[in-house]
Amino acid sequence: MQQITAGTFVALSPEILAFVSSMLVLMVGIFNPRSVVLTAGLAALGSLVTFAATVVLLAIGFQGSFFGDGYVVDDFALYFKLIVVLSAFFTVLAAARWAGRTGDAPEYLALTLSVALGAMLLVSMRDLFGVFVSIELATIPSYALVAFDRRRRESPEGGMKYILTGMVASSILLYGTVLIYGVAGSANLTLVATTFAGTLSPVGLLGLVLLISGFAFKVSAVPFHYWTPDAYQGAPTSAAAFLSVAPKAATFAALLRILLQGMPEAVSTWAPVMAVLAIATMFVGNLFALRQRNVRRMLAYSSVAHSGYVLAAFAALQGAGTDVAVQAVLIYSAAYMVMNLGAFFMIDLVGEDGKSFNGLFVTRPSVALCMAVFMAALVGIPPFSGFFGKVWIIAAGVQSGSIAAYLAVAALVVNSVLSVPYYFGITRNVFFEEPLASTEEPKGTGAIKFSVYVLAVATTLFALFIGPLAGLAGISSGLL
Amino acid sequence: MLQQFLDTLNATIPLEGYLVVGAIMFAIGAWGALIRRNAVVVFMCIELMLNAVNLSLVAFADYLPNAGGAGAGYAVLVIAVAAAEIAVGLAVVLAVYRTRKTVNVDDINLMKG
Repeated sequence: MQQITAGTFVALSPEILAFVSSMLVLMVGIFNPRSVVLTAGLAALGSLVTFAATVVLLAIGFQGSFFGDGYVVDDFALYFKLIVVLSAFFTVLAAARWAGRTGDAPEYLALTLSVALGAMLLVSMRDLFGVFVSIELATIPSYALVAFDRRRRESPEGGMKYILTGMVASSILLYGTVLIYGVAGSANLTLVATTFAGTLSPVGLLGLVLLISGFAFKVSAVPFHYWTPDAYQGAPTSAAAFLSVAPKAATFAALLRILLQGMPEAVSTWAPVMAVLAIATMFVGNLFALRQRNVRRMLAYSSVAHSGYVLAAFAALQGAGTDVAVQAVLIYSAAYMVMNLGAFFMIDLVGEDGKSFNGLFVTRPSVALCMAVFMAALVGIPPFSGFFGKVWIIAAGVQSGSIAAYLAVAALVVNSVLSVPYYFGITRNVFFEEPLASTEEPKGTGAIKFSVYVLAVATTLFALFIGPLAGLAGISSGLL
Repeated sequence: MLQQFLDTLNATIPLEGYLVVGAIMFAIGAWGALIRRNAVVVFMCIELMLNAVNLSLVAFADYLPNAGGAGAGYAVLVIAVAAAEIAVGLAVVLAVYRTRKTVNVDDINLMKG
């Protein structure tokens, strides 16, 4: 049994900081209920400090495994922690004013930080039960976040649909975990790998199927995506933005670790399953998004489609494509974070009806340009961020040398074309429609505008980051 | 004859027995969660599913040679997680009930498509 040393605390420092700041926000909020600036400032500061700690760990090349090999810190995990913490930071900025008006800002911000905490733990777990518990730590607060806005009737409804389906999915995931634990005699991925090396026993296969189904639910892959549009439409905008990025990226990371480290020999079993999931998810997401008039719901279906794109990289996790596929997941997660957070925050700046974007270029040109950037990035037009994510996935698929991965990549290309009408429908409204006659004050606060501008710049100049990111991803693909 | 019957009663129950009971409980819970319309009853069915998994878990933990009894610790974690889920779930159901005076999942359908 390993000793707990100072190194353990260094390894856990980002999580400890996130936990402390979430508790601090809650406590300070209780004693200063009116001071939104204080609580939101603390939450933002907490996520920045956590970010700094993660960057330091990455910079000094800290690596190791802790708690009897159940918890690993490697570049792969740290990279995803950066994505989670950054999106938590922007979410706190965007949520501050809205949360203040509900009167429950401390609770809202503390819940956001605990989702981030769960996601950060999740990417480091190398123990199946650890994965389950941290997924739940990320999911249970997110139920509360979705149902948070009691003034809108959609919000508790979305929350209830999310929680009912989410709990069924959790028990399916847990059943899969327990069956794999039973077959392997251990929940540690290294030991699971030896069991999955030979021919699979029926129980092991059932466990794998149940595990993948549970994960498919958490990343809203078809046919387990039904909760996504309702939950995101009901949720407060900042919560929808955060949930569509941070926990999802972390869940993909955990799935990647389980498949690559826990069952690398069973690749011929799970890679085709991933390809089928990917193709179905892309088509369903995009076809349903085409029909939406509500921007929030459209973005929810768009996030389903983007999950499909990432799953295409999972289908390519074999042969010569493995390293590139891991890189593709890493780069896509970063690219998706900047463009999707921004696109969701636009709803808080403009409105959730597609018509409210009419003539935005005339009335608020800078905001309109940001919207155009985010939409172009989500389609995958160069030089915006989404393009690079898709290029990496295509490269991985081509190198993988498997028919299923080729099909998934072909479906990705077809779907990118399919998604053009609904993304550019909004862009057309922004530039070519007459503005609605309205006396309303322009919505949004300085903090949201700041986040949107920063994210738009990051989306546009993603090519500049791609060098360091790819370098980082190159190291990261060597999972510890 | 009688002695043989008594011997059978005293023999240890094989691992498969627990697993089959667990699987049947899980299936009943899943079926209930799909067909029942009252949100609170759905929660009860989900609890049944989680407890079925827990039964398999402790059975594995007891029978596996290398597990070292760690499964029982995991089972406690699962119980804690289930309690937390139910707490949040009932709070959300209460919030829905306040605005609509119903917890029937078929009537709660503001959002579609």
